[in-house]
Amino acid sequence: MPLLECQHLNVAFGGAKALNNVDVTADSGAITGLIGPNGAGKTTLFNCVTGLLHPSSGVVVLDGRDITRLPPFKRSRLGIARTFQRLELFSSLTVRDNIRVAGEIASRWQRPRVDPRRETERVLDLLALGHLADRDVTEIPTGMARRVEVGRALMTRPKILLLDEPASGQDEAETEEFGDLLLQLCADGIAILLVEHDVSLVMKVCSYVHVLDFGSTIARGTPNEIQANPVVLDAYLGADQEP
Amino acid sequence: MQDFLAYTVLGICLGSVYAIAATGLVVTYSTSGVFNVAHGAVATISALVYWQLRQGWHLSTPLAIVLTICVFAPAVGIFLELVVMRGLRDTSEVTRLVIPIAVLLAINGLATWVWFRDGSRAIVPKKFFGEQHLQVLGQAVYYHQVIGVGLAMATAGGLYVLLYRSRLGVTMRATVDDRRLLMLNGGRPDRASLGSWAIGAGLAGLAGVLLAPQQGALQIFALTLLVFDAYPAAVGGRLRSVPITFVGAMVLGLTRQYFDWVSHAGQSWLALRNLRNAIPAILLFAALLFLPQGRLRGAVVARTRERFTVPTMKQAVAWGGVLIAAMAMLQALMKGAAVISLANGMALSLMALSLVLLTGYAGEINLAVYTFAGVALIVAWQLDVGPTGLATRASLSVTAILAAMLVCAVVGGLIALPALRLRGLYLGLATFAFGTIVYQLVILQTKPLRGSIFGHQFTINLFTTGSLTVPRPHWFGIDFRDQRAFLMLMTVMFVLIGLALVGIRRSAYGRMIIAMKDSPAACATLGLNIMRLKLGVFMLSSALAGLGGLMWAAQQRTLANNNNFDGFASLLLFMIAVVGGIGYISGALLAGIFLSVLSVVMPNIFIKLGSDYPSLHWFFVTGIGNFTKFVGPALIGIRLGKNPSGIAQQVMDGFRPLKRVPLGTAAWASSIVVLWFLSWRGAIGHWTFALVVIGSVFIVPRVLMGMFPERFEDVANAGQEDPDLIGLARPFQRHDRDRFDRELALPGHDRSRSDATS
Repeated sequence: MPLLECQHLNVAFGGAKALNNVDVTADSGAITGLIGPNGAGKTTLFNCVTGLLHPSSGVVVLDGRDITRLPPFKRSRLGIARTFQRLELFSSLTVRDNIRVAGEIASRWQRPRVDPRRETERVLDLLALGHLADRDVTEIPTGMARRVEVGRALMTRPKILLLDEPASGQDEAETEEFGDLLLQLCADGIAILLVEHDVSLVMKVCSYVHVLDFGSTIARGTPNEIQANPVVLDAYLGADQEP
Repeated sequence: MQDFLAYTVLGICLGSVYAIAATGLVVTYSTSGVFNVAHGAVATISALVYWQLRQGWHLSTPLAIVLTICVFAPAVGIFLELVVMRGLRDTSEVTRLVIPIAVLLAINGLATWVWFRDGSRAIVPKKFFGEQHLQVLGQAVYYHQVIGVGLAMATAGGLYVLLYRSRLGVTMRATVDDRRLLMLNGGRPDRASLGSWAIGAGLAGLAGVLLAPQQGALQIFALTLLVFDAYPAAVGGRLRSVPITFVGAMVLGLTRQYFDWVSHAGQSWLALRNLRNAIPAILLFAALLFLPQGRLRGAVVARTRERFTVPTMKQAVAWGGVLIAAMAMLQALMKGAAVISLANGMALSLMALSLVLLTGYAGEINLAVYTFAGVALIVAWQLDVGPTGLATRASLSVTAILAAMLVCAVVGGLIALPALRLRGLYLGLATFAFGTIVYQLVILQTKPLRGSIFGHQFTINLFTTGSLTVPRPHWFGIDFRDQRAFLMLMTVMFVLIGLALVGIRRSAYGRMIIAMKDSPAACATLGLNIMRLKLGVFMLSSALAGLGGLMWAAQQRTLANNNNFDGFASLLLFMIAVVGGIGYISGALLAGIFLSVLSVVMPNIFIKLGSDYPSLHWFFVTGIGNFTKFVGPALIGIRLGKNPSGIAQQVMDGFRPLKRVPLGTAAWASSIVVLWFLSWRGAIGHWTFALVVIGSVFIVPRVLMGMFPERFEDVANAGQEDPDLIGLARPFQRHDRDRFDRELALPGHDRSRSDATS
């Protein structure tokens, strides 16, 4: 059974359908890609999963439990963590405190309790952020700021990690290194749902990919199947373009 | 039935004026993103200008109307946009609320200075066409009211067309959504903003002219409050919809008139006679609670310019010690009246501390701090004075203080609980509405509340005689009725609470509060129960406001129920606290001292100068003295747009580099102590001491920087423009290229220099 199941999700903003009967699943210990052009509904799906947005119909199931009506903080406590496409860092805090406060929040409800201070240092090392730890989070480059968001999410020791364009702002070498990190997290048993425009990263790390366009699922399959899918090529390149 | 219809007609007339006022607010907000709290003040000063033109200088009515509504009021709007509001870009919601509050107080202060500087004066605006009226269902309806209805309908229709059917309207709304995108598409957002502020202010002026005759003799703050009454209509329209705002205004007008009908203008139920005045606030509170709010909002990193640094506990303890020592030294040099002013300031600083926690740390807004002071006062009074109305205790007891804090926390919690989903402006308006409701229904209530619980009779005395007296403490064998002792007690309390707040800020709890302020959405997705955290902060802050309020009441000794509880004082305190530096303990200290100095000390100095130099009496007393008293605090508030982190931050930034010259700084501090000793012993005058110290604050840092330029190189370069904004804020110029070349050590720099030399 998949760890996360989104079944028949529908979301409308006025007359525009942001999600149209979307089904997405994610398994523990695997990285699932979620790709599509801008405006396809990827972030809307993340918002539905984390509870920042309520779907007009459809259900979100985590570990066999219907969480569709739960508020965001309760979903987090069940093991969902995320990053944001538009950075949502705590701009008054340093890099270290951004990560540490996540551990301190988690230590209020998580058992066994982990020392947030020690865990913060471990996560800073894991993400190679140690040299920036005492910098104001508004002063660091976007790519590093996205890593801070990942670190913050990891402090909650999630079952599933929803990453919204985490490689954006990182250079090629950093992206490569970041891909290895994702594979390492995945090997530890975490499920990862990855929204990313860097197709090479998606193809490298994902075991399964869903493709959205205009709020609907237009394809799903392994990276190789997706790469060869003409509908996906049309969505990305336009129907009149030569592949 | 005829009565019902007659009151309906009157309700529509009243609702029409509300509609004009409320749609003006909607125009400004929907096209600039600023909730113009100063709307009522623009209405008031416009009404006064109209009175001056029409009745003072006997211009014809049409000419006076045109000059007021079409020239003066729009000019005020344009002036505000050009001089004040443009500085609010990239500031927090708190700052964008505070600046209009400052403008409100400045305009009302200016109006007082111009028209009422010599105290009471009867200005009675007349209705259009005087007392001529129609008979509608047996009810006299003045032509003035009929004109109001016609103008309201024309305004609503015209605005609807302007905002939703015209190109200018689309441009105005686009200005709020994305100013830069609008510019890239050829729009001119600055011009659109000017237009919207001119229209909004014009409508405020029209509402003021229509409302003023209803008052009889014009009272500045009462007329401003009448325009505040239109807020529920604007909020009902979510500050965006003109048609819903119009309907809301009608509901508001009808509700007030039906209440008059049912209660015989409040005479049927004396205990609730002030309910009429509380109706708009009740409707505002209800509108805020029941209207759908946006989902959890995040914040984009580096969105605002406000930045607050956090002291270490060691630094906080050291500065606390310095404050206590400085206060002890200062009061030893002061005369009785000056000590009272300083103590008033310290009491206000204690109240402002509650805002440091709530607004500075948590980003939430409370525009009813004095209301909690009133609640604390009533609670303490029950316990320490008793039902007979005679003082039974000589000392304010610790029990009474703790009980007052507890009740304030509970009341704060009860208010916050339904309002928790609100944020920023909406929460501020909810607390302001709450303050108004409590003021009208509780603080102005002179009938004791009697009841029984399980057969036990009880009586709660509110402001039964119109005022309450609170004894000062008598603790540890020290009689704090002595003003100097009470000043020191409040100083020590301030330091202890300040240290506790710094401790909170540096703790895990504090980091969670800051995180909640920065991004509620991210916090929620990390498992934080935001509602519970917000509730806790609000309750703690309310308890602190109660404690501060009680000390303030004990400082005043006797408080009348119309003393500072009507909402404006809370607005002023909030504004000054933000100006002082809402994220700093020192900001709260500065706020209290500023308020005391600007409203009491400075005018007293000018009164003294006026009496010493009778030929310059008008200049010193009426001119500078009253101007400082009425307009000074507000002008300081308006400057906030330039430095949204507050004055405390500016002061710290100015003095922090002195740490690099520890010996020089220590010598400076030591010489101040020596001078104080000489002054205390009478070797030099107190004024001499004060002037030398004040002068040294400005001179010594510059001297030290001049002596050690190599240690202050970065400070000297600090005033330079942010390079990221060059090219966006203004066109890129040649000297910018030279600067970049120089700072990046590019060859172009050398080339340009060699070009210049060759």
